[in-house]
Formats: sequence, C-alpha cells, structure tokens
Amino acid sequence: MNWQADWGLRFRMFVTMFLLFALYIVFAGVITAYVGGGLLLFGLFFGGFSLVQYYFSDTLTLRSMGAKTVSADEYPQLHASIERLSQQADLPKPKVAVVDSKVPNAFATGRNQRNAAVCVTTGLMNTLEQDELDGVLAHELAHVKNRDMMVMTIASFLSTIAFMMVRWGAFFGGGHSRGRGGGGGGIVVAILVSLVVWIISYLLIRALSRYREYAADRGAAAITGNPSALASALLKISGEMDKVPKDDMREEAEMNAFFIIPIRSGVIGRLFSTHPPTERRVEQLRDLEREMQAF
Amino acid sequence: MGLLDGLRAILGSRAEVDAGRDADSDDLFGMSTAYLTMQADLGYESLDVGALCFSGVDSSDFRDAVDEVEAILEAGREETGTEFSVTSDDHGYHWVVLTDDDPEDLITSMHFAADTFIEHGYGSRLLAAVFAYENRDGPAYWIYSFRRGRFYPFVPRDGRERDSSAEFTLESALDGELEIEREKEYWYPLWPSEGGTHPWE
Repeated sequence: MNWQADWGLRFRMFVTMFLLFALYIVFAGVITAYVGGGLLLFGLFFGGFSLVQYYFSDTLTLRSMGAKTVSADEYPQLHASIERLSQQADLPKPKVAVVDSKVPNAFATGRNQRNAAVCVTTGLMNTLEQDELDGVLAHELAHVKNRDMMVMTIASFLSTIAFMMVRWGAFFGGGHSRGRGGGGGGIVVAILVSLVVWIISYLLIRALSRYREYAADRGAAAITGNPSALASALLKISGEMDKVPKDDMREEAEMNAFFIIPIRSGVIGRLFSTHPPTERRVEQLRDLEREMQAF
Repeated sequence: MGLLDGLRAILGSRAEVDAGRDADSDDLFGMSTAYLTMQADLGYESLDVGALCFSGVDSSDFRDAVDEVEAILEAGREETGTEFSVTSDDHGYHWVVLTDDDPEDLITSMHFAADTFIEHGYGSRLLAAVFAYENRDGPAYWIYSFRRGRFYPFVPRDGRERDSSAEFTLESALDGELEIEREKEYWYPLWPSEGGTHPWE
C-alpha cells in the first residue's frame, strides 16, 4: 500500500529485542560463572518444554481454547473470506477454527505459515459486519505472516528459564551444592539474578508484544485496504468486552499475547499489558486512513 | 525465505510489505502462446473471456484509477474490439470482465487495465487474472495470481468440487510455457457467487 513505513515502530521493536538479548547474554554469563552447568541444564530442561509446546502450538492452543476446526461446508462465508485474505496476504490458507463463545475474539496460532490456524468465536461473527470481520481476520493473518508466534516464543524462551530458576532453583540447586560442599552462595546469587532477569524480560516481552499488535494492525490495513473497518471492529469488540463478565477465560491468561483484545483482569498497569489500548490502535488506523485518503 | 524476508518478519512488517507489493502485469503475456496449446494440444476451446479481480480501496483517488481503467478500455474498444464491464461479487471484490474472440487483443486489453492500476500505485490491490476455457467436461480456468506472479489451473465441478486430475493435466501440459505456481496450497479456487455464476459468466 502507499502509506509510509513506520520506522519508529520498527526501531522500538529492534531496541526492545536488542535489550532483551543483551539481558539474556548477561544472564547466561552470570549463571554459568556462579553455578556452572548443573542449574543451567535444569533450566534448559524446563525451557525445552516451552519449545515442545511451540512445536505443537497449533493443536495445543486450539484444544486449550475449546476451538473446533471447521470445514468449508459448515462455515462457507468464513472460509471464503479467509481464502481471499490469505491470497492477498500471499499466504497458504490456514486451518479455520471456531470457538463457541459469546465473547467476541479471534486469535492465530501455529509455528509457521504451513500449519497456522486462525480461530474466531461465534460471538465475533455475530457482533461484526463482514468488512469488520475481514479486518480482524486480516489482523490474525498478519500475525501469521509476521511470524509472531515464533518471535514471541524465542523472546520468552530464556525468560521461562529464569522463571523456573526463581521457582525451583533453591530446591534443586540447594540439594546439589550441599553434596559438593560450598557453592550455596552461588545459588542465592543465581536466584536473585534470575528474579531480576525475569522481571525485566517480562516487561520487555510485554512491550514487544504490544509493538507486534501495531504491526499486525498495519498489516491488516495493507491486506484489506480498509483501515477503518478494523478500527470500527476494535471499537465494537472492546465495547462488547467491557459488558461481558470476567469469567473462566481469565485462566487462559498466557494465551493473551495472541488475542486481538486481551481479556481484562482488573487494574493492570500499561507496562504489563500485552496489547496496546484500543484507542491508541484506532488512532494509528485513523492515521493510515488519512494517509490513504490523501492520495 | 531470504535474509531480507527474515528481517522483515522479525520486525513485524512482512505482512504489511507483502500485502502492499506491486504486481507485474507483463506476466499476463505468458498466456498468449498458452491459448494455442490449450486449443491445439488439449482440445480446450477459449471462452473468449478474461477477467481481472481487484479489491477496492475506499478513497476518491482509487475511484479515479478505476475511472481511468474504464476510459482506457473504452478508448481501446474501437481498435481491439474488446468489450468490457465492471462488476463486483458478493465477497466485496471488484471485477473487470473483458470479452474478445481474439486472444491477443484480450490479453493486450487486460494488460492495459492491470497496468493502469499499477501506474496509479494500486498494483497491490490486483488479486487475480482469470482466463476461461471449456471442453466437453465443462469449464477450466487459468488463474494468474498477482501476489505470487504465477499461474495455476482451476477446474471447478458441481458442488464445489475441483477436478484435480484435469488440473494436473493442465499443469503438466503447460509447464514451461507458463510460470506455474509450484506450491499447491496457493492454488486458491474462485468459486461462483451465491447466484451460482462467476462474474465473467
């Protein structure tokens, strides 16, 4: 499309990733220096789980959300929309899944373009007009195209290890160091460092996730050529989201990163939210609309 | 995936860049020899119709571009004899449908129309070009994807079925003559609208 590339957004994304990886290098260095391989191996073992999860992400996520893969016979209109949008986005057609829920929401999953799935709730289809739904679907396809699942999994990998160390480090590492005699101080340092790394990385990952949302919004606007439709969809969804009681879906908090609108869970600071506020996203889409009209 | 692609994916702009990538209308000329092969070697008759599918943009500048496409086709009608119409389907996509019993003229007119979109900076809105054929079993189409820059066959049958063996035959027969899409998951069908017809029918 003919609007300008958002270099500011790319730059912030780059800086965030750079800081994250710098942090991880320091983390890996400190852990190996103070504790040696034992605890790191233990951490890697747990971190490995997140990679395994990533490899089965498409089926796991769909199952945990109670989503059902649907055929073109059951939802011809939905399939047709996703087909056309994938074609415009230059993507192979992803699996199409539906969750039977009143909460209007959508998410994409899958480690690469070939086993991606796009899932929408029945509430979303009932709430939105066709062009608004197309905007939301294009947003999810943009996530697939931008490889957000992969980027976020890799970004969180060492953060998961740090978290595991904080949680289980004393128990596991403590047992070993007693056996070797001494080194107990190392464990304390390792746990403290892990804690700091985990907190900082958590904030950075959240920021990164918010930037990915902006990027996916821009991608969706480029795919549909209609930024306003996505903006009005976002407004509709967020309005609906406020009305819907905070029920069991809160348990799926870690899935939030791939929801178009995060499930609200009380007062959480901006720093901790995975998604930028709707007003900001709508504002950005309005800018794109203006740029488009100016031609 | 090249290095630049990977970088774009990491910076989250791949969707935006790819969806906005411009088309190359010159690829359409690949169809001019394919017409002969289709008729002489495979027994497919040309239906003398071609169509361009594009998605609209809600701006006055885009409407100007569509107006200019119509003006150019109108002007060319006397010279080439290509009839045309502009319609839309129930997916909200727009179509320029062209009819001409001379394949060369048909392709030239399509190229003009596509080129006009590209010149106006709307090449990325072009989705597909369709070339229609028919044999005793029914219609068969060659679809050109502007996004991929490749052709692929589409042979629809009743009940939203595709005749994959006919598609396979077309693929192998035209291999070398057309830039064929190798990855079959990009062989997107273009099914008829609710009314049971395609925009070009």
